[in-house]
Amino acid sequence: MTAEAFKRQLEALAADYRRDLPEKLAQIDSIWRDLMHGAAQPDRITELQRELHSLAGSAGTFGVAGVSEAAAKAESFLDPYCARRKIPGLAEQAKFTTLLDALRRTAS
Amino acid sequence: MAQKNAVVVYEHDVYVLSQQGEVELRESETSLSPTDIELLVRTDGKLTVAEIAESMRLLAREAAIHAYGKLINRKLVTLHSGEKSDLHGMADLFSGKPPPPTRKAVTAAKAEASAGVSSLQKQGYYVRIARRNAARPPTAPGKALFAVVVEDEPHLAKFLKQYLSFEGFDACIAGNRNEIVAALRRVSPPDLVLLDVTLPDADGFDILLKIRQHPVLKSVPVIMLTAKATREAVLQGLAGGADGYITKPFEVDALIKAVGTVLGLPKSPSAGKSKL
Repeated sequence: MTAEAFKRQLEALAADYRRDLPEKLAQIDSIWRDLMHGAAQPDRITELQRELHSLAGSAGTFGVAGVSEAAAKAESFLDPYCARRKIPGLAEQAKFTTLLDALRRTAS
Repeated sequence: MAQKNAVVVYEHDVYVLSQQGEVELRESETSLSPTDIELLVRTDGKLTVAEIAESMRLLAREAAIHAYGKLINRKLVTLHSGEKSDLHGMADLFSGKPPPPTRKAVTAAKAEASAGVSSLQKQGYYVRIARRNAARPPTAPGKALFAVVVEDEPHLAKFLKQYLSFEGFDACIAGNRNEIVAALRRVSPPDLVLLDVTLPDADGFDILLKIRQHPVLKSVPVIMLTAKATREAVLQGLAGGADGYITKPFEVDALIKAVGTVLGLPKSPSAGKSKL
């Protein structure tokens, strides 16, 4: 394979990633909504953090660095809650929702 | 591992269909349950119990182990080659808690961790060159290389596989425990392991410690690929015996340089040409 063909292959993969981004964000939103409304067990907060961690670690490589940074902020915010498997209180929920809003804006 | 009816079945065992099993499969009025039949159909002397359970999706590993116990008792399957398939004890990678790094390793790594973090901030990767020199000779030109990519984010995993293929590696992706064990058994030892830390059912730092304790895998070059870039995380990686450390999200060039340096490879054909 030539370097040009290789580059095209990587670009196609990055385009795939960006196309799938709304789905990843929807999944994050869905877990967060379930947690806020009591429809999910508190320990799903670690799953939420893992989704954010995955986004933080991958988006920048596929050319959407802003998404990586926004996801990393949301991920860090959850650190103390994940350690205790606890859902944030109302005031903290509002802060986290703001972080998710910022993440969505960056991705759009 | 499970013990059912005095039969010990390991999830990494490989079975073959016995003559009796073949007869049972051909019987039009078999007494086997649909699950047992499904297991027999998939028993090919290549796939492990865990891999077969995985491929059946609805069957949990414990259920597959239990069902194999029944099939063995009925002499419908026999252990492949009459011995455990897991010749190198790969399954042990996940049994029990790995021992912590030695005090000496931690002390040595502490001095290096600060330099590592500084390099990570500047370049996005850190390579512990001394380890390569000590444990592994430079890779001979033209040698076919096999890499295991431990990464659970599917796009990133595919990206890494494509990159490594372009660099001449035969690369295999593993996103969870079972896949890691299967990948490490494919070519043992591999020439390179790219190791993510946060995995759905495993911790990359624990896997690193287990690899360094393993008789066959202990000298395999391991590069950590992780979004964890604190001094503590780098220290954990270095004390555990990582040869390189790359922070995510990573630049392709940083990855190329890290792999090249750790393996002692000549300059890559893709260097500087693969920026997304």
